[in-house]
Amino acid sequence: MRLIIALLLLLACAARAGEPELLEPEKAFRFSARMIAADRLEVRYEIAPGYYMYRDKFRFGAEPASISLDASQLPPGTIKKDEFFGEVQIYRGDMRFVLPLAEAGEPGPRFTLNAVSQGCADIGVCYPPQEQKAEIRRAGFSSGSPGAGLSPFLKSTPGAPASAAPPRGEPQSEDTLISELFRGGFWMLVLSFFGFGLLLALTPCVFPMVPILSGILVPHGEHLTHARGFTLSLAYVLGMAITYALAGVAAGLLGTLLSSALQNPWVLSGFAAVFVLLALSMFGFYELQLPSALQSRLTVTTSKLHGGHFASVFVMGALSALIMGPCVAAPLAGALLYIGQSGDGVLGGAALFAMALGMGVPLLAVGASAGALLPKAGPWMETVNRFFGVVLLGVAIYVVSPLLHAVVFMLACAVLLIVFAVYLHALDPLPHGAPGYRKLFKGIGVVSLLAGVSLLIGVLSGGRDVLQPLAGLRGAAVPAAQPVLFQRVSNLPQLESAIAAAAGKPVLLDFFADWCVTCKEMEAFTFTDGAVRKRLDEMVKLQVDVTANLAEHKALLRRYGLFGPPGIVFFDRQGNEIKGLRVVGFQNAAKFAATLDLVLN
Amino acid sequence: MTRLLQALLIGALAVLFAGAGYLFYDWRSGTRPLDPVATGQVVLAAKFMGLDNQPQALGQWRGKVLVINFWATWCAPCREEIPVFIKFQDQYGARGVQFIGLAIDQKERVGPYARDIGINYPVLVGGLEGMDFARQVGNSRGVLPFTLVLDRSGKVVTTEIGVLRAEKLESLLKPLL
Repeated sequence: MRLIIALLLLLACAARAGEPELLEPEKAFRFSARMIAADRLEVRYEIAPGYYMYRDKFRFGAEPASISLDASQLPPGTIKKDEFFGEVQIYRGDMRFVLPLAEAGEPGPRFTLNAVSQGCADIGVCYPPQEQKAEIRRAGFSSGSPGAGLSPFLKSTPGAPASAAPPRGEPQSEDTLISELFRGGFWMLVLSFFGFGLLLALTPCVFPMVPILSGILVPHGEHLTHARGFTLSLAYVLGMAITYALAGVAAGLLGTLLSSALQNPWVLSGFAAVFVLLALSMFGFYELQLPSALQSRLTVTTSKLHGGHFASVFVMGALSALIMGPCVAAPLAGALLYIGQSGDGVLGGAALFAMALGMGVPLLAVGASAGALLPKAGPWMETVNRFFGVVLLGVAIYVVSPLLHAVVFMLACAVLLIVFAVYLHALDPLPHGAPGYRKLFKGIGVVSLLAGVSLLIGVLSGGRDVLQPLAGLRGAAVPAAQPVLFQRVSNLPQLESAIAAAAGKPVLLDFFADWCVTCKEMEAFTFTDGAVRKRLDEMVKLQVDVTANLAEHKALLRRYGLFGPPGIVFFDRQGNEIKGLRVVGFQNAAKFAATLDLVLN
Repeated sequence: MTRLLQALLIGALAVLFAGAGYLFYDWRSGTRPLDPVATGQVVLAAKFMGLDNQPQALGQWRGKVLVINFWATWCAPCREEIPVFIKFQDQYGARGVQFIGLAIDQKERVGPYARDIGINYPVLVGGLEGMDFARQVGNSRGVLPFTLVLDRSGKVVTTEIGVLRAEKLESLLKPLL
């Protein structure tokens, strides 16, 4: 019981946290855009409460310039009487408008939308005109939506459609899959969510529910028939499903509020904490089941009713859905976002209900087998439990990794790997004639131990690279691939003088940070390539290390319309930026060499 | 009893994790307070174009009580507070107070506006680089209006985001005279 109270308190705190006084412009005016037909572009600004935008300050353009956008028909705004400007039209809240789009020539697969806008806050401050860009993919009229925090979730489960490696925090074209899904009509959608639930049943999220269910089935012992087992587990699954359906209705009605709440650092930390709790139960620190006091009270109150036992099982299902919620919510974040955008409570409820039924299928199977399929206790089972425990802890680290410093992140991974190895008996001698699975586990354990130890050594010796933790220990005698020599710049004046000093050479400007894995991949796999090196030699190479995130770094990022690394910007021989050739995200050697060719010519 | 203990332990652990995560986030993204002396030096080292197209160094007003106001013609709240600044420049100019307007705007718009409304203190044109400068000296959100007050030694005394009312400005300036 206390566990549940603590959890609820934690979630309640999470929901309230994080109300800054003044928002960053990109948060006050969240910008996204998507194609809704071959010749229509929908632009959306989610304007935070207490903020507004001027209707007559919007300017839209596209790259390539062969695309023209007609912004003459913006919807009327509300009238604001201004002492100085007279009556002006402003927008508030969730604002969408459709721009007719015309294209001279062959339509390409994607283009860049440049949107200039200007807005103010009611407390009496204004933001300067800001230019925002979005990559618009035309294939299948994909949708774009900013939300850096969501993308890791979308990639975190095998079931969730992967998003196309978006640049951090930049308005991005997102996976077409989910939005396609929402095009297929009501029943198609419900069916898809059922399938999605089946996939979720394969994730460790469902695993902690098995002991709860066995707690319900086992007391029936010998008398448990297949039919009764099935109906009992059906009651449990229905309880779970209805809880999720309510969440779906809420998501549909609350709109995108929920999805932005899911990106709050408190919520991320809360999710991580739930993963840790679930993992601890997998390690056998405690048995995850409803507190006995609550269970007995439920039984007492419900046994007075007809079919009382089913009612209590039903309530247990609902409660376990609450406990398991955050575990499922993370991979679901993308789907919730779209349910929110649909603004349809019925659709949201039906979709999540179907999903929970899908998740419940394995539990129904367990019930119908009258408990025969329940995992048997034993050393094998314990190891499986621990394995899932480690997976859950790993997910916890992954969920909060955007909030963690590189050192903490590496330390956490190292500790996890080493503890896992110890649980796998990597350090204990194998008894003579040990069964095959013990040998396999020991092998995995030793590998995990070595990986953990090298991470630990790496981080303690100053390495900050998860991919090459021991890179710092390479002796000078071992000629590693010579790193590309970048000239460091740290502010705008330095950058300008460096570009001026380039004297007719093209300039490459690389934004870099410790925590930026893509930057490291580029360094390790792309910059080391011979063909790339040859072309780089003809350029002046500048690098900004924005790890410290100082004001001058932010100013530089802002100057080039980037929200963070990775980002490579090119300048021609006259020192002007070559727009449209930017590299945000990983490019392999061949592709990057081709980009460099374009810069050099 | 052990059950209770376990639950409490786990609850505490969860809160600890959440708190640590949040603190880290805060630490990484948060605005650290600026050093008033160092920021003052940054301010006095800056240089912007005047309305007459001559570069003007802010350092030339060293030794005065400097009020630097970031504004723009498109910013309604900025327009609201400028008449107060004009009045104060009149009133306190002789006692060593110097207002400077730094416009995050185009020169073609700033010049006529400054003339029309009768701005009696130097107006410099910063453009969007002026906004980068504003962020550097404490305006982390990059909003207007934004006003910096430096004392005679060149130390930043206050930074104000949003409209600066006459009463507040007066109470800020009085002790610096």
